[in-house]
Amino acid sequence: MTIKTLSQHGVQRQQMPCLTKMERMIISMQDPDMGIKLRNQRLLITVIPHAMTGADIFEWLIKKFSISDEEALHIGQIFVKYGYIYPLKEPRNLILKVDNSPYRFQTPYYWMSTRWPASELDYAIYLAKKNIRKQGELIEYEKECYNALHKRINHTWDFVVMQAREQLRASKQRRKADRIVLECQEQAYWLVNRPPPGTLDNIDHGPERRTTNTRVQLNADFYKKEIEHNRISLARNRVKSSICLESYVKYCEQYQPHDPIMQGCLPSNPWITDDIMFWNMNCETVSVPTKLRVERWSFSFMELLSDPVGRKEFLTYLEKEFSAENLCFWQACEDVRHGETSKIPGKVDEVYKQFLAPGASRWVNIDSKTMEKTLEGFKRPHRFVLDDAQMHIYFLMKKDSYPRYLKSDLYKNLLARAVVPQETKKSVLPFIHRQRHSSPSPALATQAAEDDGKTKNSNSFKSNSGTASRL
Amino acid sequence: MGKDECKTMLDALNKVTACYRHLVIALGSTSDSQNLREELKKTRTKAQELAVANRTKLTSLLKDKGISKDDRAEYERLWVLFTSSVELLEVDMKRSLEIGQDFPLKVPRRHLIQTGMTGSTTTVAARAMSVQNMKYEADANIDTVDLKELETEIAQVDQMMEEMELKVQVAPWTVEAKQEAGAELKSTVSVGNSSVGIISICEEEPKETVEGETGLMKVFAGVIFTAVLLIAGILGYLVINL
Repeated sequence: MTIKTLSQHGVQRQQMPCLTKMERMIISMQDPDMGIKLRNQRLLITVIPHAMTGADIFEWLIKKFSISDEEALHIGQIFVKYGYIYPLKEPRNLILKVDNSPYRFQTPYYWMSTRWPASELDYAIYLAKKNIRKQGELIEYEKECYNALHKRINHTWDFVVMQAREQLRASKQRRKADRIVLECQEQAYWLVNRPPPGTLDNIDHGPERRTTNTRVQLNADFYKKEIEHNRISLARNRVKSSICLESYVKYCEQYQPHDPIMQGCLPSNPWITDDIMFWNMNCETVSVPTKLRVERWSFSFMELLSDPVGRKEFLTYLEKEFSAENLCFWQACEDVRHGETSKIPGKVDEVYKQFLAPGASRWVNIDSKTMEKTLEGFKRPHRFVLDDAQMHIYFLMKKDSYPRYLKSDLYKNLLARAVVPQETKKSVLPFIHRQRHSSPSPALATQAAEDDGKTKNSNSFKSNSGTASRL
Repeated sequence: MGKDECKTMLDALNKVTACYRHLVIALGSTSDSQNLREELKKTRTKAQELAVANRTKLTSLLKDKGISKDDRAEYERLWVLFTSSVELLEVDMKRSLEIGQDFPLKVPRRHLIQTGMTGSTTTVAARAMSVQNMKYEADANIDTVDLKELETEIAQVDQMMEEMELKVQVAPWTVEAKQEAGAELKSTVSVGNSSVGIISICEEEPKETVEGETGLMKVFAGVIFTAVLLIAGILGYLVINL
């Protein structure tokens, strides 16, 4: 068993498009007629060709693409940042200077690539080589990396040493000028891919996601799945961004008065004034809800259902219309969905007996197809077995009862009665130390609310069944 | 002994892998040429032969149940080294395919990247093939023909690695390296020194001069200066006295 460094890192199978574009530009720079004019770099004894100044690059970019100075500088910087061009004078300073500072092209093997990320093994080999060349005088952070790697890939450290020695011997076979270039290239590559601490990491890969565990078998099945996936993606419903943004703006406009941060909350923000009246007025069991809250129920059906007070009111309304069983059924389904897994079969049975069985006490009207499907699912009850039926009843209520509720007297009266809290007067002396009393533990508060809610629910069930039987 | 044989074979594979990587680095740059492609092909074939030989030897040794614990640990270590070598080879082969496809040689306008490397890689290839001189006998269209063969060879190597994974179960974390950190400094006096002076050009010093030679020059200058001072002193003394 071996550790496959590449396939573990979720390597993308395509080069990033921006990198492909950069590669193309680099290649166009090589054109003997239209490319960059290159000069020779003169070291004391050796002459190495193919050097260019920063000014050359800058001017070429402006001429070729007819862009402004700033843009050319920016693009030039990107080339140096990503390692396609490296500076010769100050190798650790990866910026483009628009003057006589020399630069050189990087060889394709060392180009930035998302397909071939720089691996730890290679870095270890590079550091080992450097260690040999400099007789142990590595820079501080390199020493740390070296030690860390020695620990991390210890199992193959012998290979690192062997390979480092062999690579050095191989490079000795070249002539001096080429050897210098090789060293510079490799150093530039590692400065880009393993930047020293304190410098910007130009290539921000983000956190590593080791999601691919196994090698993917590139066989017929795999390709069939890919084709299917792509076909489904093509057929996906797409909304034009103009329409999307319009509805987004409408949503924001509608909800803005209800947002305590954007609009401020009445009576006052408890976090600022230590006055918890806001929470008291908006809690779940209040008898007179605030006006904003009641208005919110008219935005959508889900708003109404998600507010406990709203649900209660809606239930009262439905009782008048003799269709309360719909809401009760919906609530029971929600309970199944969000409740404990062990209790699911029991709950599903209950639901069946109360709502779905022919001649049940609170029979809900579901179409035959959904009913069949649900009954099929009852053989192996799971969390989502009642989903279809629930959806059907939900839409029934939404289309039918909900609009009528909003137009009903019950709702309108509630709206009229709803309270608009007064803004608390700010005290004259803003920094008076208020009496702070310790608030009750939130655990106790929720426990009390739960018990309350449960007894209320069971009461309502019992009373409902009573009325139904009377009918 | 099995171990020594294994070691020599592994060393050979290591050498060829290092040379192959060296050659792949030159792909696409101005040292690229017909010859380079042929060298790549030959080195690759040699590397594969060595890999297969290594694999057969090591698998047979590891499958043997009757070896001692130390021996087994040693063979496992060699196995890990072998797999790392083959992985490196595989990556380099895939990259050479990619770069080879991007930089064809037989197009009217060649766009090889001008990297400053202009020498040939014959000596490296000769080292890999363990011959004195390389002979070049390939056709003109080696760059396209070779790529197809390369694809099949990559598939073969992939397959070999999968088989290896399945057949031999060696846990990497049980293998401990024999060399500690900094081991490479100990025995490689010959590799370092001659290139130290030259290489420092690319390093931190922004000067474009060779460090070793600057040192020499400094010594020379010092010597000449003291000589001049001495002569001036002697002359002055003579002038005053006469």
